[in-house]
Amino acid sequence: MEKLVKLWVNYYPIFLQGLVGTLWLAAITVLAGTVLGMLIALMRMSRLKTLNVISQVYTDVLRGTPILLQLYFFWLALPKIVPFEMSDTSCIVVALIINSSSYISEIIRAGIAAVDKGQWEAARSLGLSETNVMMKVIMPQAIKNILPALGNQFVMMVKETSLASVFFVGELTTSYKSVQSMTFLSIQPLIIVGVIYLVVTTVLSKLVGVFERRMRVSD
Amino acid sequence: MTDYIVRTEHLCKDFGVLKVLKDVSVSVERGEVVSVIGPSGSGKSTFLRCLNLLEEPTSGNVYFDGVDITTKRRDIGKYRQRIGMVFQNFNVFPNMTVLDNITLTPILEKKIPKEQARDEAKALLARVGLSDKWNEYPRKLSGGQKQRLAIVRALAMQPEVMLFDEPTSALDPEMVKEVLEVIAGLAKSGMTIINVTHEMAFAREVSDRVLFMDDGRIEEEGSPDELFTCPHNPRTSEFLSKVL
Repeated sequence: MEKLVKLWVNYYPIFLQGLVGTLWLAAITVLAGTVLGMLIALMRMSRLKTLNVISQVYTDVLRGTPILLQLYFFWLALPKIVPFEMSDTSCIVVALIINSSSYISEIIRAGIAAVDKGQWEAARSLGLSETNVMMKVIMPQAIKNILPALGNQFVMMVKETSLASVFFVGELTTSYKSVQSMTFLSIQPLIIVGVIYLVVTTVLSKLVGVFERRMRVSD
Repeated sequence: MTDYIVRTEHLCKDFGVLKVLKDVSVSVERGEVVSVIGPSGSGKSTFLRCLNLLEEPTSGNVYFDGVDITTKRRDIGKYRQRIGMVFQNFNVFPNMTVLDNITLTPILEKKIPKEQARDEAKALLARVGLSDKWNEYPRKLSGGQKQRLAIVRALAMQPEVMLFDEPTSALDPEMVKEVLEVIAGLAKSGMTIINVTHEMAFAREVSDRVLFMDDGRIEEEGSPDELFTCPHNPRTSEFLSKVL
């Protein structure tokens, strides 16, 4: 216990820096993943068969393979494909965004599918254009299902991004590795990092829960 | 030549192997009030939903104001603006106020100035006794009020025909009357109405013509008195004996 306190007092800036990195990674993967995921979801719901198949394969591959394997793949393949220099960190960020976009596209699709079919019919029967049906009637209702799920996705990503430590990307689990190599202590920094994760995810989950209830009340 | 506002020719609709509509040809004149009755699953609602292409007919044609709207690439939105529809489950937009429910489409699709759209909406709300509700959200309305709102929302587009799909089936009994009164008022005002209903007394009272549908076909049609008092088709009499 004493050792834990001492370790925290001496190295807390490194842990906090790691936490900032983790939150930043989680935020960017959810935000960019939402933009990309929206596109995939629209392709999935499109009337064009080709687009359906592409998005189906995209989500199946990304959801059906281990995320660590995907990180390795992008880390190795991306620098060879793109015509410019790419740091390890950017490769991993891209990989995380693409991975999370596959989950988010399903969140968006499910959120839209949960809107009552009668809403589509009523909006169409009035003579609204398909774009207006989607943007003015369906989306504002779907967003109430989507936003809380995106919050949960953010909590997921806080934990998932720990895999980036394999590539020494600046985040919380990487901080653990740094402190470990500086102090030659392994269990104690691991406990500290674990407690930080637990506190952050618990607080965030509670916030999402409160937010979700608010959304439902306003319905 | 008679001025048919809505006409179907050999309309068929399959859902997979299930044949729901089998060669339905119906013509409705401008200003006519037509009720469609028949047992559940007879295809009444599907027939109605084919008229504004909420269901795509498997074969056959639907003409609106003389134009075949089933041909490909016709801008169906433009026609739907002229065909109002009211659903069994109201389908009001829960995320908008009563007024926004009504003005949404006139403002977006008919480019009516906002102020004018709001004035017209309020006038319509007054007609159905919902004046004080304009700023409420639908969750604060009773079933009957929601359905009256749905009717007003459709009327705000100044449609030339109104389709009613069992408008009172989802209502508590004490709210049926307030909705039927609104529809009766519309009928009297000269609106063309196609009304799918289980309310036999109402169908008899307001309709110019009643269609009896069974198993995907129009089995009998005639004036309300004729069809309700001396049906020619044994299936019609059988159905009527069960519901009357």
